[in-house]
Amino acid sequence: MISNILEKLKTGNITPEEYVEKTFERIKKVEEKVNAFVTLRNKEEVIKEVEEKVKSGGRLAGSLIAIKDAISTKGIRTTCSSLMLSDYVPPYDATVIEKLKKEGAVIIGKTNMDEFAMGSTTETSYFGPTRNPWDIDRTPGGSSGGSAAALAAGYVELALGSDTGGSIRAPAAFTATFGLKPSYGTVSRYGLIAYANSLEQIGPMAKNAEDLGILYSIISGEDWRDATTIKFSLEKEPYEIPVKGLRIGVLSDIMEMSDKVVKGSIENMINKFSSEGATIDYTKLGYAEYALPAYYIIAMSEASSNLARYDGVRYGFSKYNQGSWVEVYSKNRGEGFGKEVKRRILLGSFILSAGYYEQFYIRALKVRRLIKSNLDQLFSKYDVLLSPTMPILPPRLGEVINDPVKMYAMDINTVIANLSAIPALSMPAGFYNNLPIGVQMMGRYLSDSLLIGISIYMEKVTNLYDLTAPT
Amino acid sequence: MKVIVDDNLIKRLERLALIEIKDVEKEDLKKDLNEIIEFFNKIDELDLSKTEPLFHPIESGKLRNNVESPSLNREEALSNVKRKENGYIIGPSTVE
Repeated sequence: MISNILEKLKTGNITPEEYVEKTFERIKKVEEKVNAFVTLRNKEEVIKEVEEKVKSGGRLAGSLIAIKDAISTKGIRTTCSSLMLSDYVPPYDATVIEKLKKEGAVIIGKTNMDEFAMGSTTETSYFGPTRNPWDIDRTPGGSSGGSAAALAAGYVELALGSDTGGSIRAPAAFTATFGLKPSYGTVSRYGLIAYANSLEQIGPMAKNAEDLGILYSIISGEDWRDATTIKFSLEKEPYEIPVKGLRIGVLSDIMEMSDKVVKGSIENMINKFSSEGATIDYTKLGYAEYALPAYYIIAMSEASSNLARYDGVRYGFSKYNQGSWVEVYSKNRGEGFGKEVKRRILLGSFILSAGYYEQFYIRALKVRRLIKSNLDQLFSKYDVLLSPTMPILPPRLGEVINDPVKMYAMDINTVIANLSAIPALSMPAGFYNNLPIGVQMMGRYLSDSLLIGISIYMEKVTNLYDLTAPT
Repeated sequence: MKVIVDDNLIKRLERLALIEIKDVEKEDLKKDLNEIIEFFNKIDELDLSKTEPLFHPIESGKLRNNVESPSLNREEALSNVKRKENGYIIGPSTVE
């Protein structure tokens, strides 16, 4: 728990040097297997910064944090795990980084991810896959797999990820950690390298719900540099909320699409909620099988537009410079992007092209409307909608990566929150053969603090928090 | 409308997306795109004639106040440019 480290640093129980040394020792021991980091900072620099920050204070004075490599960090290489940006050094900080620095947090490094966040296993990274600390033959999920692995491997207590269709929650579920996809517009996207604007949010990742809450309270808030942020600030840090009287709707259509062992673990969790006094009701999301294609149509369309900026001229991969604009662009983009990224840009270009725009893009947006309307109705009856976070156990490396449709199918439970702007939190529900299983709670728009508060209560019931994989 | 991803469509997409596709990539790509489009076709089953599209999940589009704010200087802004001269970016040629 981060409060323990803060206390030790403050009282001198542990020196900044000891804290950083211990962290780097742990990384040295297992990183060769796990590959959580794309860029790890120089140890001496980090020690110096922790020393300064402990003195200058703040709510995270001197705490180390791992940052997903899609979030811009001034002076620290930010690659999005792509060859396209492999030597890109941002000249500015993302708003969330400014906020963390102001509270005394120290970045230890940038974490591995699926290239441009396009993937669900962290295997599409140009820098090689991240492996799950709980089982080195399996993926940690993605796309924020490096951040989740850095937590589960016991490197750090805090991390940031980003979530476009489950990219925080999938890795949280697969590594027995906590992750929140915040309500859309509550966390600034300024400095987040864009994939799909209308879907994605930066969010906190941690090993327990309290730390998740602290991190969310720091990074959230309106930002004039991101026009999609709303007037919002947390009045106080999220606090424990007992579940007695809470009305929970279990999404049975989503449950039915999940593996038996996953379902079993979630049933177990439902019983715990029930014993604590929550009211349990089985309900249906509706349109569940349409959410996934609609999500991917929208995400790829937005991606094709966002990734048009990589021209190999102003920044990024720039091997070719001879010929016309079209030739230079096409060659640099053809070589600078990986397979999955190219697939999504090409499909996005196709969907938005004349003749197909109505058939695919507009129809997908209509499905989005139907899903949102259904959710509005469900939230008039329930405070929280519950389901497994992922329908399957963490897949083995190579198991889904060569079959795109199979990989996309993993996101069935998570894309709903991105399509409809609502918050969704994943917390550990249990294990099957030592493989983590996560439970997802979705809440009404802007009920992030409620979800965090419930998980602060429930983690004590399950006793599944502050877990480190025995790697 | 049934879509078949063939060499012609790949060629059109290369130009639209400005991504050069090497010959060795083509067969796999055609197969993948056909499968993904088939997966997209699922939404054809729904009658959506009375539903309005939802472009963005929340009301947004506010404007900030029209006041000056700090920005990057030229050196910072060009710090990642590979080919530059006198503070300008050198781009590919525009005339043959």
